[in-house]
This record gives sequence, C-alpha cells and structure tokens, in this order.
Amino acid sequence: MSHTTTRATTPAMSLRQRFSLERFFTGEGPEPGPIFLAQRRVYILPGKMGVYFAAMMLIMLLGAVNYNNSLAYALTFLLASIFFIAILHTYRNLLHLRIDVGQAPAVFCGEIAQVPVILDNRHNAARYALKLQLRDQHHVSIDVAGDQWQRNNVPLLTTQRGRHTVPRLTLETGFPLGLFRAWAYAQRDVCYLVYPAPDQHHRLPGESSYHLDLQGDRGHGADDFAGLRNYHTGDSLRHIHWKTVARGQGMYTKQFGGDQATELWLNWDSLPKLDTESRLSRLTRWVLDADTAQLTYGLRLPDAHIPLGTGLVHQQQCLQALALYNLDTDISSP
Amino acid sequence: MNMSGFQQRVKQAKAENLWLLAGLTLAFTPHFFRLSPLVMLPGIILLCWRLLFELRYLALPPRTVRWLLTFIGIFATYIAFGTLVGRQAGVGLLVIMLCLKLMEMNAQRDVGVVIGLGFFVVITVFLFDQSIFMGIYMLLVVTLLVTALIAFSRDQSEIPQWANLQKAGAVLAQAVPLALLLFFLFPRIPGPLWSLPTDGAGAGTGLSDSMSPGNISQLSDDDSVAFRVQFDTALPLPQKRYWRGPVFTQFDGRTWSNPYPQNLTNRLSINSQYQVSGEPSLYTVTLEPHQQRWLFALDLPATIPPDSRLSVDYEIIANQPVRQLIRYSMRSFTDYQLAKNDAPDISRYLQLPAESGIQARKLAQQLRQKVTDNAAFVQTVLNYIAEQPFYYTRQPPLLLNDPVDEFLFDSRRGFCEHYASAFVFLMRAAGVPARVVTGYQGGEMNPQSDYFIVRQSSAHAWTEVWLRDEGWRRVDPTAVIPTERIENQQDLARILPEMAGVGAAPNWLKKMGRQLNFGWDRINHAWNQWVVNYNTQRQQNFLSRLLASAGFDNIDWQEMITLLVAGMALVMTVVAMYLLKPWNRQSRDPAQVVYERFCQRLSRRGMQRQPAEGPLDFSRRAGQRYPQRARDISNITALYERQRYAPYPTQKNLQRLQHAVRNFIV
Repeated sequence: MSHTTTRATTPAMSLRQRFSLERFFTGEGPEPGPIFLAQRRVYILPGKMGVYFAAMMLIMLLGAVNYNNSLAYALTFLLASIFFIAILHTYRNLLHLRIDVGQAPAVFCGEIAQVPVILDNRHNAARYALKLQLRDQHHVSIDVAGDQWQRNNVPLLTTQRGRHTVPRLTLETGFPLGLFRAWAYAQRDVCYLVYPAPDQHHRLPGESSYHLDLQGDRGHGADDFAGLRNYHTGDSLRHIHWKTVARGQGMYTKQFGGDQATELWLNWDSLPKLDTESRLSRLTRWVLDADTAQLTYGLRLPDAHIPLGTGLVHQQQCLQALALYNLDTDISSP
Repeated sequence: MNMSGFQQRVKQAKAENLWLLAGLTLAFTPHFFRLSPLVMLPGIILLCWRLLFELRYLALPPRTVRWLLTFIGIFATYIAFGTLVGRQAGVGLLVIMLCLKLMEMNAQRDVGVVIGLGFFVVITVFLFDQSIFMGIYMLLVVTLLVTALIAFSRDQSEIPQWANLQKAGAVLAQAVPLALLLFFLFPRIPGPLWSLPTDGAGAGTGLSDSMSPGNISQLSDDDSVAFRVQFDTALPLPQKRYWRGPVFTQFDGRTWSNPYPQNLTNRLSINSQYQVSGEPSLYTVTLEPHQQRWLFALDLPATIPPDSRLSVDYEIIANQPVRQLIRYSMRSFTDYQLAKNDAPDISRYLQLPAESGIQARKLAQQLRQKVTDNAAFVQTVLNYIAEQPFYYTRQPPLLLNDPVDEFLFDSRRGFCEHYASAFVFLMRAAGVPARVVTGYQGGEMNPQSDYFIVRQSSAHAWTEVWLRDEGWRRVDPTAVIPTERIENQQDLARILPEMAGVGAAPNWLKKMGRQLNFGWDRINHAWNQWVVNYNTQRQQNFLSRLLASAGFDNIDWQEMITLLVAGMALVMTVVAMYLLKPWNRQSRDPAQVVYERFCQRLSRRGMQRQPAEGPLDFSRRAGQRYPQRARDISNITALYERQRYAPYPTQKNLQRLQHAVRNFIV
C-alpha cells in the first residue's frame, strides 16, 4: 500500500480550473496517487432538509415581525446561526481526508465487485456517517475515528467483462445536522477485472477437444504413449521422462492416450454455432468445471493460447484471457 | 417491569425519535397549562402512544384509526375554542396535528418534518410568554431538538448518545455569537405585516374595564409588576405618584364603567383646558402586557405616546390592546389645573342610577345644605368619612342589594373602590360633577438599580371632582381614614404614600427576601429592555449610541446590514479556523516530519545526511560516530522505517517515534 509513502498530490490550479463547472459535476478524473481532499475538492450545498429548514425559518421570521415578538426573533436567529455553523461542520467532516482505492478481486460479470477503499483521517476529530458510493450503486455508510485509517469494501455491480477502471467514488456526508450535503469525488487509476459470466452447466467437451496431435489414440489403454509435455507440480513420478532429465534437458512428463479424461483442451473453434459472448461464457464455465474436476486443461482462443495446466494461477490465466478476449485495449470503460 | 429488559428496549429504540419525543414533550408543556384540556389531553395520549411504540410495547394505529383520530382532533379543537383560527385555536390545532403526525412518522423524511415543526411549537410558546425563564427553558428544548437532528443524521453509527448531546451543545455554543449579532444588528421591521388575530392571549392581570365594589370580597395581593419606570428627572413626591388609568363615569347602581370613549383625540388642548406649572417629569414606562388598551402615566400626562390617543377624561388609550411588553417615553406635569374655566359636559359627570342609593342622596343633600360652596362640601364629605367609623379592609363583606347605601350606612368596611364609588355618588347626588379614576398609586425604587417599580398591589381608585375656578381636583377619599381604622398595618403604605417605610422594622430575613426580590426584578428589567422590547426604535438608539464614536450619527438599515454581514463574516472565519484548522493539513507524513527533526538535530553536530543516503545507512554511519547513542539512533530509524513503509502505520507507533525523537540528545 503506497498511501504512507506518497505525498498527496495537490497540484496548483488556475482560477479557471478551480471554478470549472466540469470539476463540480465530474470530478478530477483518474489520479495516480492517493487523493487528499483539499478545500477545493470538497463541495457543499443545502440538502432537501436544508431547504425545508430555510423555508421554516423564513416563516418564523415573518411571524416574529408580525407579532413583534423578540424571543421569536431570537429563536429564528439562533436557528439561522445553527444553519450557518452546520455548513462548517459538514464541510469539515470531509475535509483533509486521504482516500485510496485498492485492487478489487476479479469477479464474474453480473456479480458485485468489492472495491477496497481506504480512508485515512489524520485529524483528531472523527468523521461520522460518511457515505461511499461508486457510480449509482449501493452506498456504504461508515465512521472513521480520529487519527485512524479504515478500509471498507464498496460494492460495484459488474455488467461487462474486461478490465475496467474503477469508476469515480463519491464521498458524501450530511453530518451533523443533515441540513447540508457535502461531497467529494475521488478516482484512482486502478482497474478491476471482470471475467465473462459462466454459462449454465454444460457437459465438458468430450471428443471434440482432444489434442490434435493425438489422432487415433482415443480410448486405447493407459499405456499408449502419446508424447511428452512439460512437467507440472503434482505429476506422478512414474510418468516422468527420466531420460531427458538425465540429459539435462528439463523435466517432461510422459503422456498416454488413456489419460484423455484428465487432460482437456478447451477450444474456441469447437463452438462455431454460438456468438462471441456465448462462446466465452461456455468456455468460462468449462474452465471452472475442469478446475473443479481437477483436470489438466488448456485453452485455445483465436488470440491466445494457454498450454495445459492445473491450479489456481492457471485458472486465473485462462479466465483473464477469456475476460480480455478481443478487447482493443487493456483498459476500457463500461 | 423488568428493569434490564426496559433498558434493553430503550437501547434498541431509535435514538433520534427518543430525543425528538423528549424535546416535543418539553415544548408542549407550557401549552399544557394554558390550552384547553380538551386539546392537550389527546396530545398527551398521542405522545405516550408514540413513546410506547418506540419502546415496542404498542403498535401504531392503522390508517382508519388515524383518520378517525384526526377528525376527533379537529373537532375537539373546534369545541375547545369555538373556532379554528386565531392564536389559541391555531396553537391547539398545531399541537394536535403534530401529535397525530407522530402516529404515522415512519419515513426518514417525516422525522425531519416533525423536528422542524417542533421548532415552530417553541415559537408559539413565545407568543404567550417571553419571560427570561421561558427563554432559558426553550433553549433546553432547542438543544434536545438539535440533538434529535444530529442522531438522525448520524444514521446507524454506534456512537454513545451523550456524544450527540455534546455535539449539539458545541453547535449551539458556536451559533450563539452569530445569533447575538443577528439579534442586535438585523434590521427590525416594525410589524405587524398583517392584522393580528383579535383573541386575547388569556386573562391578563391588571386593572379591569369596570369597577363593582360590592362584588369583591377579597382584594388580591398580587405582587407582580404592572410596569417599570425610568425617571430622567427627579422622582415626584410620594403624594404626587398617581398613575392614571381607566376613568369611570357611568354608574348603574352596582358597576362603574366607561365604554371606550368614542371621541379620542391625538391633540393635547393645552391652551384652553390645561394649565401647568413647575418642571415636567420626564420618564420612560415599560408596561407589562395586560390585554387592555390603557397606557399608564403620571397625572397629568403632557404627551401622547405613539400609536395611542387621548380620551376626554385624559386616559391614554392605545390603538391595540397591550399584548406585549411595550415601552413609551412620557412627560407629565404633577402640578396642573385641568378644565379650569371650561365647564365640562356636565350631564356626563352627574349621571346617577334612578333607583339606588336613596339614603345616600338624602345624606348628600343634608351635608350640602350646611355649606356654601362645592369646595367646602368636598371637605365636609371627607370629614364625614374620617369621623364616622369607616374601616379600611381588604376582606370587605359582599354588598348584595344596594352597594352604595349598604356600604355608607351598614358595613362601612371596604377598600379604595368602595370609598371612591361612595364619594363620587355623594358628590353627584349633591350636584357636583365627579368621576372615578383608577390606576396605580405609589411604587418603589429598585435600590439596586435606577428604576421604579409599580406592582399590581399598588392598584388604586380615587376620584376627581370639578370645581368652578379650579377645574378638576383630585380627591382620594381612602386617604382620610385614620390610621387606627386600617385593619392591617401593612396596608398603611398603600393608603398613605407618606407612610411608606414607617412601621415595625422588618427582620433580616424579610430584608434579605426584599433584596433578592429587587435583584431578580433588576434582571427581569434588563431582560425586558434588551431582549423582549428590543424593537426598531431601541435598535436605532442602541446602535447609534454604540457607534457614535465611529462616526455614525443615525444608523440606517443599509449600514446595519453592512455591519451585520461584516460581523458574521468575522465570526464565521473565527469558527472556521477553529473547526477546519487549515494550517493543519498534514499533507506530509507526520513520521517524516519527526524524522527530519531528528536528522536536523544530528546535522547541527556536523552529522549531515547525504542526499542519496538511505535511513539505514545513515543510522549506521551516525551510530559509528556516536557509539553511546547508537542504540537510540537505530531505534528511531527502525520506528521510522516501520511507520513509513509498513502496510499500515499505527498511531501508537507514531507516538513512540515522536517520543523517541523528543528525548533524543546528541
């Protein structure tokens, strides 16, 4: 985590930038380091309650004038003063916070990504009832005690596979009186990965996905030697091709035709009837199922080729290839 | 009830709603004593219902029941007040509707609405009572409602509730300076903007608009303040301290009255009717609201306050009933002759009811025949009262049939009203024009301050008779009663102003009580002057006086606004500095700041850290140079590294680092 090392960046702004309306509505855009909420980054306006209270105070003032009632004046003025003081309190509730957005674990499309947000409060006053919200998603409401940092996951519903920039985070607060709404935008240049949504359960590919080099080997006993492949951790010692090891050419595992059930190629071309996304969905499902069944599997896509393998890292490699298939850039906005 | 179970319920209830209910209950309480129980009882029931709901003992009523309750509420208000408009009924309706709103307060938005209406209830309380006590009490209510607002905006935070109360206190404390600025500088607009409802704000204490001596068997001993006076000139002599109020000319045998005179004037006809001598008394009266239209002034007023007019009987009559504390400046001449040569509209002051006071008429004629002129007749009647066994008492017998005759010949016991009434009757029976004047007599200086207090217990009735060549002469028949015939010696001062202060010396407890009383009255007077009666005119005077040195002669509203905005900006800046601490951005890592201080300390000893040198290398080099301090140096470096490069630094670690650097000596 870099938020302790990097100095929060608050580059000098021209007056025009400072007051640009665009900043007000869209924020600052993605930023490389942790975000420090300087004064110019915190906005504040009366909320609905504030407008209601202002109207109430106006009526009270009219009443005070009409009845020439000094204590009615006094009460109206006291409420108006509370109203003004509330601006400062609400503003302070966001001011000088440091925000960092972390890497969200990859999820399947349609699931909710949990984007970690770190709020660092270096003032000794606590921050209460902060609402964190990514785009128009559900918000989380949190408190940060004085001189503390806190990590919270903010939900983000995913709708499209690929690698996306985490959208703009809105911090909002009405504390303490709910009359004003202060808010600030924060967007870090971090991405999150969305795998394609896995298809319904389908049987793993059978005949169609044999290794092309193994023609004529299907179903012919466990001792039909079919070739060599790179050694993977966990391969049986009995199948290691010791000769190459002895020659110093590396570890290879002997493959036999009869191992077809544990060795699987997931092939893009084997699904010609489906459209692109459905193919990716199906392949995603197969990757998951193959992993569950502890098969050795590889993936072939028109633009990627992932050799046979097993394990979590391998699975993630495959899923990432599926997520990024045929996307022009690495980073895209949904 | 299981106590821990109850506490559990309190804990689980929505905090903001409990604060709100507490605030509302306190806000309603002054109304509970003032408005009809027909309205307040349902209010109390609904408040309790909501409280039981919050504690999960009861459910809220279903929609049909709510509608029924609303209907009953409006109906009860109508029954109680006979109307739905006006001050009393309006407040009743507000209370009922607010309590009904509690029955369906579910959404978050509703809570905000109800809190806002709670502030409105506070304002309605001020329409009836602007005392210092009420002001402080309502500040408490406002604190509770603000706490409700804070608890409400804090949402689900698990923060102890006293922290919310504390926060409310802080917000209020910061708001008070701004509120004071607004209060004193916000240009006061002279009201009213629209016509005020005509219903009274309940019974006021004070003089009534009629006088029926036989109907009262107990004169109340009400020590509340009627008005306060600040004299700019010397105090008038005690025997001149007659504060003129309602004048009664019409008698029906039981009751003296004077329907508000129609021909009011706003001109003093000094030339023809009114001759004065001596220096005028200049003073300012602060009159407590008494719900009637009379304004009181020393006999005889020489000015007419604004928004009021003068009747032919020299009563000052305000255009509106006095529903609020008012202040007016007056000028009076205590030496005067009124209507010296002009014969007044005689028949008005000779009217007598046909069938009452038969014996009294006979007596009047007998006495009149003995003397030659009216002036002598006045003296004869006064002598008659002094010589015959008339007693002064505050508990006179009721006079049932013919009050005048029964008093003069039977009971012969009464207070000022009886004497004034009987005296005027005798005068008129003998053909001398006379009238009853009521008002206040006497008063006392607040020894702790510079103003004069006139209390309700100083209410008095006296008479005026018209004598050719002399005009109206004030005659106080009560004053001729010999002191031994005053039943209670404490009443002596009431009747004979010269006797004030004479009599048994009060014991120290009484003295102290009096001192406390005067001290409290002084506070009240200041409150009245600076808060309750701070109006357009006083604002003008106060600010002009305050800013006279700054070159403002006559401050106008634009200047007030300018001052107000400048003052508010100043206060807001101070509060903002206090709250936001803009210098305290700490955009730099505090650990780095501390570490740099450490490096600085070493560099002063010539141990310079090279630009490319990492903290560890530097620590090693410094440790070699100062072997005794090597442990401290490596400790500080380790703490710094941990704070700086660990995934998450901790406050404790930072404190340790700061402590180590502070104690580091090369």
